Amino acid sequence: MSQSTPPPLHQGPTAKEKKYDRQLRLWAASGQAALEDAHVLLINSGPGVVGVETLKNLVLPGVGHFTILDSAVVREEDLGVNFFLQEESVGAERAAETCKYLQELNPDVEGHSISEPVEEFIARPDTLTPYSLIIVVAPVVPDVLSKISAHGTATQTPVFYVHNVGFYIHFSLQLPPAFTIVDIHPEPEALVDLRLYKPWKELLVNAKKWTWRMENMSDHQHGHIPYVFLLLHYLMEWERTHDGKPPRTYKEKTEFRELIRSGIRTSNPEGGEENFDEAIGAVLKSLNEPTLSSTVKEVFNSPECEDLTEDSPNFWLIAHAVSQFHTKHQTLPLPGAIPDMKAVSADYAFLQGLYKTKAREEADEVLHSVRALEKSLERPNPILAAEVDAFCKQAAHIRLIRGRPIPVISPNEGVAWGERAKAAVNALTDESSLILLHIAFLTFDAFYAQRAAEGKARVPGDGADVEDDERLLTGLAQDIGTNLLTQAERELDEEDADSVKTRLGNICAELTRAGGAELHNIAALGGGLVAQEVIKAITRQYVPIDNTCLFDGVRSLSSVLLL
Amino acid sequence: MGRRTYYQRAFGLPLAEQIRDSRVLLVGAGGIGCELLKNLTLSGFGDVTVVDLDTIDLSNLNRQFLFRREHIKKSKALIAKESAGKFNPEVKITALHDDIKSLQFDVNWFRGFTVIFNALDNLDARRHVNRMCIAANVPLVESGTTGFEGNVQAIKRGITECYDCTQKETPKTFPVCTIRSTPSQLIHCIVWAKSYLLTELFGVSEAMEALAADTEGDADEIKNLKGEAELLRQVVSHRDSDNFSKEVFTRVFSEDIKRLRDMKDMWKSRAPPTPLPSEFGEQEKLPEDGGDALTQQDQRIWSPWESYVAFDNSIRRLQKRFLDGETVIEFDKDDVDTLDFVVASANLRAHVFGIKPQSKFTIKQMAGNIIPAIATTNAIVAGLCVLEGLKVLRGDIHKAPMVFTNRSADKSLSAERVVRPPNRDCHVCSVARMLLFIYPKTATLGLLVKDVLIRELGYSDFSVMNGSGIIYERDSNFGEEDDEEWEDNLNKTFGQFGLKEMRFITIHDLSEDEPRVDLELAVVTRENFSFSIELQEQVEIPKRPVPPVSAHGMTNGATNGITNDAANGATNGITNGPSNGSANKRKRDLDDDDGENGAPVKRTKDMDLVDDGQNQAPVIRTKGIVLDEPILDDTHNGAIFIDDD
Repeated sequence: MSQSTPPPLHQGPTAKEKKYDRQLRLWAASGQAALEDAHVLLINSGPGVVGVETLKNLVLPGVGHFTILDSAVVREEDLGVNFFLQEESVGAERAAETCKYLQELNPDVEGHSISEPVEEFIARPDTLTPYSLIIVVAPVVPDVLSKISAHGTATQTPVFYVHNVGFYIHFSLQLPPAFTIVDIHPEPEALVDLRLYKPWKELLVNAKKWTWRMENMSDHQHGHIPYVFLLLHYLMEWERTHDGKPPRTYKEKTEFRELIRSGIRTSNPEGGEENFDEAIGAVLKSLNEPTLSSTVKEVFNSPECEDLTEDSPNFWLIAHAVSQFHTKHQTLPLPGAIPDMKAVSADYAFLQGLYKTKAREEADEVLHSVRALEKSLERPNPILAAEVDAFCKQAAHIRLIRGRPIPVISPNEGVAWGERAKAAVNALTDESSLILLHIAFLTFDAFYAQRAAEGKARVPGDGADVEDDERLLTGLAQDIGTNLLTQAERELDEEDADSVKTRLGNICAELTRAGGAELHNIAALGGGLVAQEVIKAITRQYVPIDNTCLFDGVRSLSSVLLL
Repeated sequence: MGRRTYYQRAFGLPLAEQIRDSRVLLVGAGGIGCELLKNLTLSGFGDVTVVDLDTIDLSNLNRQFLFRREHIKKSKALIAKESAGKFNPEVKITALHDDIKSLQFDVNWFRGFTVIFNALDNLDARRHVNRMCIAANVPLVESGTTGFEGNVQAIKRGITECYDCTQKETPKTFPVCTIRSTPSQLIHCIVWAKSYLLTELFGVSEAMEALAADTEGDADEIKNLKGEAELLRQVVSHRDSDNFSKEVFTRVFSEDIKRLRDMKDMWKSRAPPTPLPSEFGEQEKLPEDGGDALTQQDQRIWSPWESYVAFDNSIRRLQKRFLDGETVIEFDKDDVDTLDFVVASANLRAHVFGIKPQSKFTIKQMAGNIIPAIATTNAIVAGLCVLEGLKVLRGDIHKAPMVFTNRSADKSLSAERVVRPPNRDCHVCSVARMLLFIYPKTATLGLLVKDVLIRELGYSDFSVMNGSGIIYERDSNFGEEDDEEWEDNLNKTFGQFGLKEMRFITIHDLSEDEPRVDLELAVVTRENFSFSIELQEQVEIPKRPVPPVSAHGMTNGATNGITNDAANGATNGITNGPSNGSANKRKRDLDDDDGENGAPVKRTKDMDLVDDGQNQAPVIRTKGIVLDEPILDDTHNGAIFIDDD
């Protein structure tokens, strides 16, 4: 069969590549593969719109599998707010109905549904094992959330916890305790390192060669010395009069720029030289100490980087090797890319070759260390050289995020703020922070947990007496606030305390008024925000939010808090 | 419990009713449009009109969720209505598969809407809708996304900035000579391949016209280019020959380059190009499949030899299509034959000029002006659009500053601190406005000038501009002679000028003594009108404010150049100059040097963005940092984000 039908000619990219073209330009084939390998579990509750809208934004770009766990039955009022339900859905299982309509969005995706109360689902052993990422939509009881959170920590599975009530959105993102990123997609310029402070021998030799007797060069030659060589030439000149030290301070760099400027020829027809202008322009940008950024230091200093085991993720093995490289050479491996510059094509190609060769050598050195580590750890599967190369190219931008468990409120013990308490208190008096909304949602969960414990689970405002609920919620919220101050060992002055009280009261009133209802538009916006972070977590590209996002649709205001 | 229970409780009944009774226009049913249509119908809006000229493409399906595979090539507007309406029978959706710039959508038509949402993919249509909304005085919610980044801006005449109050990035235009003789970047080679070489070989030749219009280039160089174009035409006459590919190759990569290299003056300050030998293609045997397999490899950069193979391979495919009767083949990023040809030719040319080549994947993006687009950003932006729309309905537009979203981890959304007020130098929103009724067959420019402008409005020295430039000028300083130049135009009717060109007419006051601000006449045609031309009503035209120090030295040199425009009209080019249209239009003003010259107006916080303390506009804070610096002239972060088709 395959022999008798040759592939069609000139179909260009495959249909799949064409369909996903616009996103492949953001996260490339590697990100797409990660997305297609993922299986996302949505634990849906409440009106259930934000969860479904989140899935929509994952199904469209082609997540591999999704499963909806939802025990609700579709009601008439769901139709006015949930796009993925139809008249005929009323009375049917919401998990199956929403799954069906989501599935229609993309035939490449496999959807599954489970119609079962979450308490029963979660009670079975290994029930969460198949899923690579879990999204929990409030309200759920604290016990369930704690179990899922613990599972996430133990299995390195990202967990999202989402509230969407009225005009308000909240989501917390629990990343694994060591979430590492190689490709944060920095600006292309950020990937350039000319290593001017620590030039290697060959670069220096060539710089001397290319600037030898500059004054005797023709205008054409002089105006086409690649600026990297110019910078190195003037650095050597500078160091001769500055005890062998390069310009470090802003003032010195300004003087250094003047030194370069003094070499420009103005007698030529152009009355100046572009390559010199480029050199001057690059001084502040490219003449930098080869210091490690704090994010890279954090990676090198973390225990995972030190204490390698047979099962260490590839990232840590390579990080260890790069860290060794840095200890030995006091610099990160050379990325190898150089910017465009004024030069004769052949000269530019030569310079490019110099940097590429050096980058290749250094990546090989790192690869060599990686192989040695693999051997000593007796790891059976060697890491691909391409992965090591990619790491070396982006070594200055690698990132480690320490995921923290989702803060779960227990009806009896309140919230344990721990080391987050002080920062949270500081945010209390900051009117542009949405910390109070976070507190209000914690209270919302406590309210729900209390009712659930009495066997009458409901959210505030979803009952007979809205005013009673509002009073109760506000009271609870204030207790949480007071408790936070106690944990942080702080007090507020009267004016601040009054202001916090009023603002918290207003939020609680608005939250109660919504009665747990979702507005489609806010749910859709929330679905966009959550799915954006889900994609970052799955592809391990770009930097996800760390770790709590709040949105107030009344004021079109958002906050990201580290809690 | 009905469908509307939830939102009535959240919005309150008065706003809920206002939402239900409003008439919404949604311009565009693409990435943002699909999301918006869903959100609007599920937010209780009762009457939505959606306009889109586009049809559905496979590459839309990763985000435009109202469409399925079976809808490919069908009208976006009609399918969007069908898909969204199915879920919400209570909403009246009107779908128009049409160009929003059609004449039928005149100012009066725009006036019929309560609020208008732009969900467009190109600058031109955005500017048009903006102008119509300003003229009709209807609030506009403008939005755009590119990749993880997006923005939303509410616009209302007299209260906020309009879309044209700040400079927008327009498609980059390159001087002819950069493209044809002295490329220094790969994009120059790509534009050469798709806009010159492909067009000359298989499209409608434009080379002579472009050269005739070039006023900047060196005379010798132009002469050389004309000669080149002539020689290429001789090659083109052999399109049926088996030797065609080789002839083209020899012409453009060998002989043209040799001649160019020998023009020594050109290479005093740049490296001369290296011609390829005409027997370049004989160095190796062509692969057995003629290069079919090679051209599928779009991720890696082809070697010069491989580019040659792809060049030969693609030119043969195009040649076959030509011989099969396709008379005009134009570049389309989704037409793989044209794409392969452009990739191969651009890379060969890059090789000749010592420029770094790129992979097919990358060149496709550059040549097709492809802008990354994902569902998540569209969902966020559409949600923000509706929130801004609600502010508009509540009369809170002064509390709706621009909102941005981006990929950054420490903030998910950011908003400007205050609403930016109109730019008083804006040629779209800071003008006086009147409505002009005309009967196109009898209304002449002469009647407009003599009856309306001179007699009725009291103008003496002034110029009249339509969509394509100045059509009349009267300046007593230059005497009668100056008038004669325009005499012919006076007898032309509006119909003869073209009604699209005459949709807006701008009157620029040239009197030296206290000139008035520009007057914009929005033209509405009336069939069977008993008069030829009539103003709806006269409004006072204020005096022009004393100009601030004007920006000198602005050049519009790019107007005769070659634009890297894509078939889909997307714009992601980078330039700070005004678009061609406005450059022409403002030419007179530039000469006048009167400070209203449409030059980029750098506004400072002190001048225009004063927080008066009364404005309760949102301040977004991220990890304790207030984003109180408004984003000004920041092409990276702000001014425009657009384009999701």
